[in-house]
Amino acid sequence: MSSRAAPGGRRFQRPLTRTETWVTLLALIWLPLVAYVMFRPALGPAAPYLLLPAGPAVIVTYIMAVRRWHESRIALIGVTLVGFWLLVAVTVPYLPIADPNKPLVPLVPPATIRQGMLFVLGSDVRGRDILSRTLWGCQRVLVWGITATAVAYGVGAGFGLVGGYLGGWWDELVSFVGNIFLSFPVMVLFILVLDVLGPSGFNIILAVTCSSAPIIMRIVRGLALDARSRDYIQAAQTRGEHPLWIMLVELLPNVRGPLIVDACLRLGYTTVAITTLTFLGLGLQPPDPDWGLMIKEAAPAALLWKYSYMLIVPSLAVSSLILGFNFTADGLREMSQRD
Amino acid sequence: MGQLLIRRLIQMLLIMLVVSALLFAIFDSDQFRRKVAVAELGGLGLATLSADDYHAWLDRRGLNQPFFVRYVAWLDQLGHGDFGQSIEKDVAVSTLLGESLSNTAVLAFFVFLIMVPVSLTLGVLAGMQEGSALDRIISFLAVFTTSIPQIATAALLTVILALGLGWVPTKSAMDDGWSFRALVLPLLTLLIYDIGYLVRMTRASMTEVMASHYIRTAVLKGLPYHRVILRHALRNALIVPVTLIFLELNGVLSQVVVVEVFFQYRGFGRMLFDAANFGDIQVLQAGTLVAVCVAVASQGLSDVAYGLINPRVRVA
Amino acid sequence: MSIAHPLLPGLCEQLERGVMSRREFIRCATLIGMTARTAHAMAGSTAPAMAAETLPFPAVDPGAKHGGILRIGQMVGKMHDPATYSWNEMSNQTRPILEYLTMIGPDNVVRPMLVDWWQPSADLRTWTLHVRSGVKWHNGDELTAEHVAWNIRRWTDPALGSSNLGLSTFAALTEFTGGRDAKGKAVRRALKNGVEVLDSHTVRLNLARPTLSVAEDCAEYCTLIVHPSFVAPLSHQPMGTGPYTLADLRVGERCILKRVTHTTDGREFRYWGGDVYLDEIHFYNYEQEYQTAALASGSVDAIYELTIEQLELAQSIPGAQILSVESAQTLCCRMQVDVKPFDDVRVRRAVVKAADNARIKDLVFGAHGSVAHNYHVAPIHPEYFPLPPPVRDVAGAKQLLKEAGYEKGLDLTICVGNNDGPWQQAVCEALRDQVKDAGINLKVEVLPATKYWEVWNQVPFGATSWAHRPLGTMALAQAYRTGASWNETHFSDPKFDLALSEAEATLDVAERRLKMQKVEQLLEDAAIVLQAFWRPVFSLASSRVRGYRPHPARQIQLTKVWMT
Repeated sequence: MSSRAAPGGRRFQRPLTRTETWVTLLALIWLPLVAYVMFRPALGPAAPYLLLPAGPAVIVTYIMAVRRWHESRIALIGVTLVGFWLLVAVTVPYLPIADPNKPLVPLVPPATIRQGMLFVLGSDVRGRDILSRTLWGCQRVLVWGITATAVAYGVGAGFGLVGGYLGGWWDELVSFVGNIFLSFPVMVLFILVLDVLGPSGFNIILAVTCSSAPIIMRIVRGLALDARSRDYIQAAQTRGEHPLWIMLVELLPNVRGPLIVDACLRLGYTTVAITTLTFLGLGLQPPDPDWGLMIKEAAPAALLWKYSYMLIVPSLAVSSLILGFNFTADGLREMSQRD
Repeated sequence: MGQLLIRRLIQMLLIMLVVSALLFAIFDSDQFRRKVAVAELGGLGLATLSADDYHAWLDRRGLNQPFFVRYVAWLDQLGHGDFGQSIEKDVAVSTLLGESLSNTAVLAFFVFLIMVPVSLTLGVLAGMQEGSALDRIISFLAVFTTSIPQIATAALLTVILALGLGWVPTKSAMDDGWSFRALVLPLLTLLIYDIGYLVRMTRASMTEVMASHYIRTAVLKGLPYHRVILRHALRNALIVPVTLIFLELNGVLSQVVVVEVFFQYRGFGRMLFDAANFGDIQVLQAGTLVAVCVAVASQGLSDVAYGLINPRVRVA
Repeated sequence: MSIAHPLLPGLCEQLERGVMSRREFIRCATLIGMTARTAHAMAGSTAPAMAAETLPFPAVDPGAKHGGILRIGQMVGKMHDPATYSWNEMSNQTRPILEYLTMIGPDNVVRPMLVDWWQPSADLRTWTLHVRSGVKWHNGDELTAEHVAWNIRRWTDPALGSSNLGLSTFAALTEFTGGRDAKGKAVRRALKNGVEVLDSHTVRLNLARPTLSVAEDCAEYCTLIVHPSFVAPLSHQPMGTGPYTLADLRVGERCILKRVTHTTDGREFRYWGGDVYLDEIHFYNYEQEYQTAALASGSVDAIYELTIEQLELAQSIPGAQILSVESAQTLCCRMQVDVKPFDDVRVRRAVVKAADNARIKDLVFGAHGSVAHNYHVAPIHPEYFPLPPPVRDVAGAKQLLKEAGYEKGLDLTICVGNNDGPWQQAVCEALRDQVKDAGINLKVEVLPATKYWEVWNQVPFGATSWAHRPLGTMALAQAYRTGASWNETHFSDPKFDLALSEAEATLDVAERRLKMQKVEQLLEDAAIVLQAFWRPVFSLASSRVRGYRPHPARQIQLTKVWMT
């Protein structure tokens, strides 16, 4: 749906149903995954069952995406990569792989059999199976990354709408606060926030929001300023609609296009940020598997050529996910430009 | 133009005041003082210190006074050009800052030296003929390189160049004195990401310009192709990339934290990271202010450059 | 030394009767001041070749080469005031410059260094120390008893805040004034006549309590002897009796030491300890996890410590020398006895019974290290009494839990900070898997190191690593005595305190060992700590380095190290 679809009057017809389907599917994937990763201790043994509906949801979403975006090869590759990791994330409790935290035999090279067990990708310094840790690791990266981006979007878009639509001293205030956050190099901001609040997933969400929300705010503000003068907005104002309603129902859906592209890109940046922060020790903590942690633990150990697989595997995994996000973004942008 | 600059300067000073006050307030908490105490005295040492001795230690470190007193004292100090003393390393912060900034400046210099010509050239070449084989290859490589997190690039480069081929040392601590070979790995790690990013932006800008009406008109008019590019297209296509290059100053400062920590290079990023881990407040304050300064300066320079290059935006 | 100690005939008799092993006789004899060589001779064995009779250094290959620069990968710390050093690394950087009164070798035997003999009274309350003659400071002064006394008096001054006050000897040189400080802790001051100077080379210590470990305490890492003109920080004016001096220090980067050839007034400097081979010693800052990599890439020639995780990696480095030594370092998974559910001894015993110490050691250290049995006294300690080893008993553990009212199982959390490496976490996780069989759900909470130190002695169930101590009684006195400063378990048993004091007042090893049996049994019955192993300490050096040996307390002793 391009941003040039006729606004206003057609809002009760097909476009909304399509949105509803997307939203339902994404929620079916998203909410169980979040519950599983963030609240697993509270759920106890029922936890894996929560993910059952998510698996088929991922597959259905993938097929829908492929059908809609079949013109762009790049977008297809991107969606396949992201879809693959999403599928892994929701089905990993059911896969026949080793316990990712259990030390077995240390420093086994890939594709060897030791003590009767096959280590497809080898084992790390403490003896844990690398394939298993890689597959389990994507859960945390996906959940925290996507949640953090979503929160950042909510906050940023909210402030951006307020500043762009309402204008005046709202705008000045919002811009000034945004500028404060934008005055830090991103990493410095992360370090400060996580150092003060302590390293944890929830604090990462806060840190990512602090760094990304101002940029999103600027984009949305610009789009809102631009759209403010359009006919349909003026029509709504004449009708006497509440400003909040105008912002959410009229304005937002029509600036959606560029935002979605930016969202995909931002997902990539956030994934990089989380991996990097975990590597620095400021992010998600051990012992649970996480790609940044795998790189961190492998870095001092992989001082010999033959142990380099410990570094290569998580690097490839995280790169493929980010590549997926970037390709999707590029493909979407390509398609919208062709319209 | 002048008005814009003055506005920027005032904004920068305001932001720096707010930020430094915030930092002081945050680091004034008891939790932080204990953290510094643990780092310096050792966990057991702190636990066995009596209350009186702990307060005496706080006094010696100047950590015992309330937030406002210390903040004003610090501002006063700053006015005299004294940035304070590093608790961890026992040297003046200004010395530390000077050394680490110059090290990072050296790294940044080489990064920009290589990045600017390479990425602009590649981006222009790719954008010139959209859809061609060259374009596809360059685009793919650009997206690919920006998709690998820098720690992964650093790890892979270490494996291939340092461990596999042995051309460069694995860490860049430069204990034996300065050598360019030790700089290679951090340089390459930064370059791979930055070149990819800039190529993408340049290519996007170039394709947009090449598709615009006046370029097509120039080609139809029969002007030789290379003249079209050099005279007309480049100037407009390079507006966005050049402004982005100035913003990259800010980006490099951020990327350099991870790269320096990974390769143990004694630069600004590593200094900030160590200070944050230890709780070395004076260093953190000074470092953050410098970072904010660089960020705002880069934004200002970017605006100035945009104003100078873009013929449509001449008035401040 | 020609004065025979009154206890010596008794020791000889025990040796002859076979009650005491040769090794314990040698240790005990050196404790009361006999030279190592004489002790070995009396025990009927040849002494390990010492460079000279009273020198504490190992013998060196006659083909040893002079010259060269040794580069060591270690964290580089400040060098402010040796008496208040908080990291072991700081003392390693200072050891070539300043020296100790006595020195503990890698074999855990104490040897004379700046004092060349010592003699305790029969009640172990008066110790006479003879300062070695011919020891010169870097400014040409000769070391006298007055210098030594000045140092000891300095350490016993509570205002300095030196951790040496935690050692029995120096604590016994102080007394309580009776007052209390703001935190409610009792206030101390130095004894009036604790340190007496008898003549230019003799010092007498008059202790408030009988103390066994004076010689060992004088070898602890914070007891470096400084010149009375010392003013902190040391890095500005380094002056000592050792063969090196400080040329450059940048904290977190490097520490450069150069050999001293001339005193500050121009005369030639001859080191009392004989030949010294290295021209310079460089310490380069590398964090623990990166030290092995630094050696592999040739940036350093030796490292501070090789941890168990990196052992296999180190073995793949061509030409590297890997040596190990037994130590009394361990990890104590300790339970606080005044907090639920650990206040019930049955619960504690259940946890201990459900664990399999030997299996934990095998999982974490493989074939290295040795198994411990939860009473914090090691086989390398002279007074070690081997109690019958406990056997894992899951059914018994379950029974105990049932009696305590936890039939449905018990949820516990253990906090670990990984200060010495991720193996600490591995131990806790192995424990978690084992106690699961008895119905205990153990959650392992890993805290970042700095956070851990904020709560280390407050958490009910935590894993603390304990450093090496040369005598078995030392750790017990600091950890389990009522009111001891590092008593994290809040264990308080007057019977135990009495038994421990009795053991500490006994010089005779066989008797002390018997008394330790009671002490160890009390600890084992109380089941306050799960301590599964004694850690091995490894050293890693390149093929060019000779004489670099691991030390159980990770002290790097470089006096007789040389390079090809």
